[in-house]
Amino acid sequence: MMNRLLFTLVTLAAPLAAQWIHYPTAGLPRLANGKPNLSAPTPRTKDGKPDLSGFWEANREGGTGVSFTGAQLPPLFKNIGAQLKDGLPYSPWGRDLLNSRLADNSKDSPDAKCLPLGILWLHSHLSPRKVLQSPGLVVILYERFTQFRQIFTDGRPLPVDPEPSFFGYSSGKWDGDTLVVQTIGFRDDQWADSDGSPLTGSGKVTERIRRPNYGSLEIEITVDDPKAYTAPWTVKLSQHLQVDTDLLEFVCVDEEKNRPHVVGK
Amino acid sequence: MSTLSVTNAIASLMVAAGIAQAQWLDYPTPGIPRTADGKPNLSAPTPRTKDGKPDLSGIWAATTEVIDRGPLGPTATPRYWLDLGPGVRGGLPYQPWAGDLRKARFAANSKDHPMTQCLPLSIVLMHSHPLSRKVIQIPGLVGILSEYNMMFRQIFTDGRPLPVDPQPSFYGYSVGKWDGDALVVETIGFKDGLWLDGRGSPSTDAAKVTERFRRVNFGTLEIEITVQDPKAYTMPWSVKVTQSLMPDTDLLEFVCLENEKDRSHMVGK
Repeated sequence: MMNRLLFTLVTLAAPLAAQWIHYPTAGLPRLANGKPNLSAPTPRTKDGKPDLSGFWEANREGGTGVSFTGAQLPPLFKNIGAQLKDGLPYSPWGRDLLNSRLADNSKDSPDAKCLPLGILWLHSHLSPRKVLQSPGLVVILYERFTQFRQIFTDGRPLPVDPEPSFFGYSSGKWDGDTLVVQTIGFRDDQWADSDGSPLTGSGKVTERIRRPNYGSLEIEITVDDPKAYTAPWTVKLSQHLQVDTDLLEFVCVDEEKNRPHVVGK
Repeated sequence: MSTLSVTNAIASLMVAAGIAQAQWLDYPTPGIPRTADGKPNLSAPTPRTKDGKPDLSGIWAATTEVIDRGPLGPTATPRYWLDLGPGVRGGLPYQPWAGDLRKARFAANSKDHPMTQCLPLSIVLMHSHPLSRKVIQIPGLVGILSEYNMMFRQIFTDGRPLPVDPQPSFYGYSVGKWDGDALVVETIGFKDGLWLDGRGSPSTDAAKVTERFRRVNFGTLEIEITVQDPKAYTMPWSVKVTQSLMPDTDLLEFVCLENEKDRSHMVGK
């Protein structure tokens, strides 16, 4: 019920972006006919590392769920463990929490409360995101709620006792052409997908981010969270470049009228 | 709460948040010039990007002054956070309806300040927000990452024109270009009814805001803001805000809606 509501909102937001922000993306390789050449080689920064900068949309191929309006959802949106043969290795506590969230129609989802969704769910969200890569820092600007995430790439270590937060504290370093990002310091009550698979304060997330060609981004996610899962697990997702457009301002709280109507079972 | 105005209450929260930040994120900022004793040298020359332009990147705190805030007592408050009037020669030239609206908003204890609803603030009000912001300058784009609600603002510096009919938004659509050492940013496409200061000076969808950003030395950012909004003001007006560099720290995650319990207690007069 709540998920349906959310999907409707998200689906409406996406086509709008294409309608009115259409300034040509700078530096985009193009074919003779002017169309973007998305299979061109990976762009690189001056230090020779892949440049992850761009405006990215989650791929929907292989997704099983559909939104209320029939739009196909990215594969990991609903269930981040969908591609694992045996599903996510929930601990008893983790499974109970997931089941209670499902039974409650996801009414306490952060999406329903206009709270940040967390770094895992945001990778497969229908709303696009823009990556900015500058020396020492990678920033992800999420259209979802117009919020940003910082990934420090200046060599700093992870903090010893970070303040628990929605996005955690992220430090990344290059392993060849892959940016390996480690994040800790999560809140205890997070949602890794729209079903409500948990992520807790004992969680450590490793993201291996690759841009194999101009138009594709691949992200391998490993979650090690002994409170919610009995073993670490790894899933993959991909995103594609959206060209000649940009982020819209998305403010969840503005004119928000849904929350009082969202009920559990 | 009945004797405290909302803006006072907000300021208290902000002051508390500032102290928390200093306590725990203390990784040294790379590239900061330091004096012989290891302290940041904030009067060092303006840093520059490879193309020779000033580099506005850094974490910035609005300059404060101590104001007697009634029940709060003397309180360090960012200049113009509460009232832009003292910064504008002759005061703000309100159109009659706009002056009335500002009076009504203030008389109601500023209870409908966008922060009480966890909404984005106008770009003018954001410059004096007590929470810090981080500027990132990369080719073609300047981003401002605000601690408040972890929200970002984009300023396109790739030479694009302003759009003809932008979708109205809180932050508008911003393009900037260099005029010598000043980054001149023009923004249009605002929603109606925004707040430019804590007492409720309004702006409308007719507003055009011009900001001249200058980093006068390593540790100081000056922003001259000109508001041209013929619906709300009889003539354009300007105000200058300053911000100082916060070394060896970083933004915290500030989520206004998280466990928000204040709104229902906020009342007007």
